[in-house]
Amino acid sequence: MNPSPLIETKDLTIRFGGHVAVDHVNLQILPFTFKSIIGPNGAGKTTFFNMISGQYHPTEGKVFFKGKDITPLSPALRTKLGIGRSFQLTNVFLSLTVLENVRLAIQAQKNIGFNFWKNYLHFSELEDQAYEILKMVLLDSKWNVPASSLTHGEQRKLEIAILLALGTEVLLLDEPTAGMALEEVPSILELLKQIKNQRDKTILLVEHKMDVLMALSDSIAVLHEGRLITDETPETVSKNKEVQEAYFGGGRSRG
Amino acid sequence: MNPVQLFHLEERKNRFRSPSFFFRILLLAFFVFTPFMFRSFEVLDVILKIIIFSVLVASYDVILGYTGIVSLGHVLYFGIGSYFVGIFMGKLGLTSYGHLALAFLIAILISGVLSVLIGLFSLRIRAIFFAMVTLAFMEFTFILSSQLRSITGGDDGISFKLPGILAIDFSYGKFLGIEFTGRLISYYLILLLSLILFLLMLRFVHSPVGRVLQSIRDNEQRSTALGYRTYLFQVIASSFASCVAAVMGGCFVIWVRYVSPDSSLSVSIMLDVLLMVIVGGMGTLYGSIFGAAFLMVTRAFLPKLQVIIASLLPGIPLAIRLSERWLFYFGLLFIVIVYFFPKGIVGTAQEIFARRKSN
Repeated sequence: MNPSPLIETKDLTIRFGGHVAVDHVNLQILPFTFKSIIGPNGAGKTTFFNMISGQYHPTEGKVFFKGKDITPLSPALRTKLGIGRSFQLTNVFLSLTVLENVRLAIQAQKNIGFNFWKNYLHFSELEDQAYEILKMVLLDSKWNVPASSLTHGEQRKLEIAILLALGTEVLLLDEPTAGMALEEVPSILELLKQIKNQRDKTILLVEHKMDVLMALSDSIAVLHEGRLITDETPETVSKNKEVQEAYFGGGRSRG
Repeated sequence: MNPVQLFHLEERKNRFRSPSFFFRILLLAFFVFTPFMFRSFEVLDVILKIIIFSVLVASYDVILGYTGIVSLGHVLYFGIGSYFVGIFMGKLGLTSYGHLALAFLIAILISGVLSVLIGLFSLRIRAIFFAMVTLAFMEFTFILSSQLRSITGGDDGISFKLPGILAIDFSYGKFLGIEFTGRLISYYLILLLSLILFLLMLRFVHSPVGRVLQSIRDNEQRSTALGYRTYLFQVIASSFASCVAAVMGGCFVIWVRYVSPDSSLSVSIMLDVLLMVIVGGMGTLYGSIFGAAFLMVTRAFLPKLQVIIASLLPGIPLAIRLSERWLFYFGLLFIVIVYFFPKGIVGTAQEIFARRKSN
């Protein structure tokens, strides 16, 4: 019944000077599940995340992907292995068209990157695939405008589209709704739900707005002061006393 | 069929009807018929230099405008091309067609290898480092060319004769009322080579590699995160552009039949190339033609302002005095262009057209 975890961390620890940002975290992420990591600001969520995607290297402990130790690998190599990530700050090619943003991600997967004697339109199937992905994130009507003319929310969607185009098994999403206008949030959540329902990706998401995650996540891991407090289903987590103490500070509040 | 394919189909259908297509044909026709339209050598000389510098500047645009890396030593490869042709023809006395072709080939090879080496060890570090290293290499070669008197002729340079139909005293006879001399044949040979290289560069920037280059220019970190090894792409771009520059260097000395450090390797040529790319518009390729034309035409004719003014307004010393400062007017003109065309002539024009289309 219990499949082996796709990603596993063992005693993952990072210290910045004297400060222990992430403290011996043991976390398992099962294939094709949706796990969220929450915690108050400064709990070490993004730091933990950066060690999985390879931007940071842990002081102690290891990261495993499919049972293999990937701790020493660079971010680019981890992407090649199948761990793609989106960034908290929007990170797209602003002067290129929306379609081209996605097309470049698909091109990166094919072995035509070094072709310099054919017109890029010769590979029209790349554009078709890119267009299909844009349809999924509801950006297809804007395929021919430069990414710089999209709204912030649309740029975040484009970011997710690029991530999907990379075709990685694992999607690491760093606060996909950060800095977004309130009316744009539901469409992103709808998109995440869609991706989740296809059940062909393993998703790890960092967020600090709890309400965003309750309906989406299979499990929620709570970090507090660098330590993992709990890792349970959303229902169990929301009833957990320790979590309420740490996260909500006893009373009710949002994010 | 999805809207993307429909869009491309529409574009393909209209490609022979678009204004830019007519503009390109017109431009080519202009260069082809130049010798028939202008009989003066002076004009022909300016126009041929526009052609050569268009291609040189376009090759620089591949590096600066499309890849976003700053090289300050691009003229080094122009100089390599110049000197190999000059040394083969003038110093070694190897003046057959075969040797001319060999000189070109060696120049291309050396430029390619050198730019790959410079790129590999300096592009990985930081952008400003690449700019400094390329500049240093160009300065070094400049000094080398003026000091190695026995090979390069030092500051005096090398004058030489060209073989067969390219020779100055060769004449094929009259055709359509003008005499086909070695000069004119050189003109058409250089025009043909330039056309081929320009088309090659267009191909290059629209290839998958070219698209990756544009993504690097836009956001290198993102490009890396997609899995592109960005510095390899930068090396490819800079070595490709260097080979083009080497061919143009050879063409330049075929035209002037003379090579010297000042005319083929100096920093002032590099500055001209930079000015031309800015005036024409970075990342447009066609902008190079406008940039080169602007600089070459003003350079050639502004100094004559004095003569024109003197004949138009004789006896007004103030007017004549004012007309002496042609460099000043050149500077003013440059400021005006940069002010009204912030993205260069072609870049700004493209922007205006795109805005009209979307309205």
